[in-house]
Amino acid sequence: MAESALAPAIAASSSRFRRVRRPRSNRDDTAGILMSLPAVLGLIAFIAVPFFAAVALSLFNVQVNQIRPAVFVGLDQYIRLFTDPVVSGAFLRSLLNNFVFAIVVIPVQTGLALLLAVLLNRKLRSVRFFRTFFFMPVVFPMALVAVIWRLILDRSSDGLLNSSVSFITGGLVPAQDWLGSSATALGSVILLSIWQGVGFQMVIILAGLQDIPEERYEAARLDRANGWQQFIHVTIPGVRNTLIFVLLLTTIMAFRVYDQAYILIRTGGANENATQTVLYQATNALSADNNLGRASAISVFLFVVVVIITLIQRRMLRQRSED
Amino acid sequence: MQSNRAARRGGLAALAALTALTVITGCSSAGDGNQSGAGDGTGPIEIWAHQGNDAEVAALQATVDSFNSSQSDIEASLRLIPADTYTQTIANTPADKLPDVLDIDSPTLASFVYNQKLSPLSEYVDQTTIDNATPGSIAEGTYDGELYGLAQFDAAIGLLGNRSILEAAGVTIPTSVDEAWTADEFADVLEKVAAVSPSGKAIDLREGGFSGEWGTFAFSPLLYSAGGAILEDGRASGALDSDASIEALTTFASWKPYVASGQDGKAFPSAQVGLLWGGHWLYPNAKAGLGENVVALPLPDLGNGAKADAGSWTWGIGASTQNGKATGVFLDYLLNDDNVNAMVEANGAPPATQSTFADASLYQTGGDLALWGEQLAKACAADAVTDACVSVYRPMTPGYPTITARFGSALAAVYRGADPKTELTNAAQAIDSNFADNNDYK
Repeated sequence: MAESALAPAIAASSSRFRRVRRPRSNRDDTAGILMSLPAVLGLIAFIAVPFFAAVALSLFNVQVNQIRPAVFVGLDQYIRLFTDPVVSGAFLRSLLNNFVFAIVVIPVQTGLALLLAVLLNRKLRSVRFFRTFFFMPVVFPMALVAVIWRLILDRSSDGLLNSSVSFITGGLVPAQDWLGSSATALGSVILLSIWQGVGFQMVIILAGLQDIPEERYEAARLDRANGWQQFIHVTIPGVRNTLIFVLLLTTIMAFRVYDQAYILIRTGGANENATQTVLYQATNALSADNNLGRASAISVFLFVVVVIITLIQRRMLRQRSED
Repeated sequence: MQSNRAARRGGLAALAALTALTVITGCSSAGDGNQSGAGDGTGPIEIWAHQGNDAEVAALQATVDSFNSSQSDIEASLRLIPADTYTQTIANTPADKLPDVLDIDSPTLASFVYNQKLSPLSEYVDQTTIDNATPGSIAEGTYDGELYGLAQFDAAIGLLGNRSILEAAGVTIPTSVDEAWTADEFADVLEKVAAVSPSGKAIDLREGGFSGEWGTFAFSPLLYSAGGAILEDGRASGALDSDASIEALTTFASWKPYVASGQDGKAFPSAQVGLLWGGHWLYPNAKAGLGENVVALPLPDLGNGAKADAGSWTWGIGASTQNGKATGVFLDYLLNDDNVNAMVEANGAPPATQSTFADASLYQTGGDLALWGEQLAKACAADAVTDACVSVYRPMTPGYPTITARFGSALAAVYRGADPKTELTNAAQAIDSNFADNNDYK
């Protein structure tokens, strides 16, 4: 997941060199083709083929493991996603959930990651310990995180969160069904997702922060800039490109949220209507309805949504090269 | 540059067309009506089974080993597949690559028959073996009037009670299925038991699993008990969203204030609550925690008699076996008294052959789970429910995955306060829509 997300950044940085034209010999070409072959074959086999297969499958009424022939239905699967009352209710709700998730998670998680990174970019004695500590949830698989948070969010008055709230407020607030109630279910999922994911963005921003030359801060201090001014005028511009990358990464991750929703709905009693996501709908179309065509249509639709949002973001935050 | 890009586009389009072609033809040519062959009753046969717990695996392996050493004509080899991916593995294996013998989770049997992956048993298995099967084993193995599966063991569902808590609460304890608590009595029992239970709650429903298979397995019988159903004449509308079904889930949701939410399953064995909605596989743990205090009870009766689900793994023959006679000999051996007894000793399940069931002390008069044994003796299929029958097997239809997913979602939503009529109507429409998409699985 991290690798594929890093690919655009690598492509972006290498595009700088593409302009340089050099006379190339045939031998260079052959070697180049040979060396890129494993990666290209991998991309074709694991990205291009499944993607085009999904596009093709979305035009058919086709079941997994079915001996009966697939029936061509054109755009029917897409139309039904939005008009068939049986299908569209859950699908549109999951789309809404995805957007709410993204709108909350993208700014909060990026902001929090920036804050943590700045805090941990100090020369403290125990800074290594804190960096490890904040990065740790990233190492946990989402399944484990979901199971832990299932206990924290337990609806009984003995649940960790409920007993803490009751202790802090002196028993004024009664036990809440954090995952089950439609008002708090998505919020709970957002909370645990940020807790799990923030360390990853933090580490990337931390790396960006350490690239900012110390001289700039010295110069700023000579100009009597206070800490806030240094942050706004030195730190932020210094990590601008890193922040843009993190923002794009978080956006993509926010739209493919699945694991925690699935685990909490299936085993944690989470409110299905309030926490289902588009990917959850896609897998549900397969596991519950055995409908490969609809699952493919949902995946293709999600792809288009993510591409559009990424393009808009890139246009708004056009990457400036520093020099 | 321009021509380069055009060439690239052309390449992509070609790739897309190629993929589409492969995918579509791949899907339609998967099976061309594989036919099984009887063979001469000798040679190697291959067996696939899900990997149960260690004791079950050991019992099955011992059966295969002793089968091989008991005769020299047939050489059986066993391959174990992880349980959580087993059904998917079978579903994704083309019929001609399936083994001679395989075990099947009974609610998925119909979809394998529909996809021509199983062969009818009556041709190869001895008639005495079929006659010895319990009515439940026949019910969960029959689809479209033909027998495709025979089980070694069944599953029993009911309430487990903590006798001392129930007595402290001053409630009458049912001693037979006919004495099951009615809806009103059950509400009263929950209130009284909650008052004397250390946790302040009365029952553990294992609510975390409502939207999974547990929801359908444990709570769909409430519909039958109230006079409703999941399907009627192959349609969910009119059955799943009938007034009786709505009433059943309304009653079910009213129990929530008395339900312990613990996710660890320890509330009942540690005597924090007085009741557990559970199955035979939870009994050993409860017995270890509560000893002689454990008592098996029927599920509440919502009007048409107490109903409970049943059904577990069953054995079938692959559609493309060329060694039908030999597989029949193996299944006869697998389902004889010694091997069935070895298996149920390993997993504590109720046996699914009549001769072994008669000797299963746990489920016969005097045994701790005798009442659940009584339930299993009165079994019926989901499309033939009567007032007299107690164990209702899950609907035998290739559309079962849709049914269980929709019912589980509706159950979980209703439990959390959603309107039962809306939820059940939506579920019924989604199920019918899936059936329509698949030409009613004809």
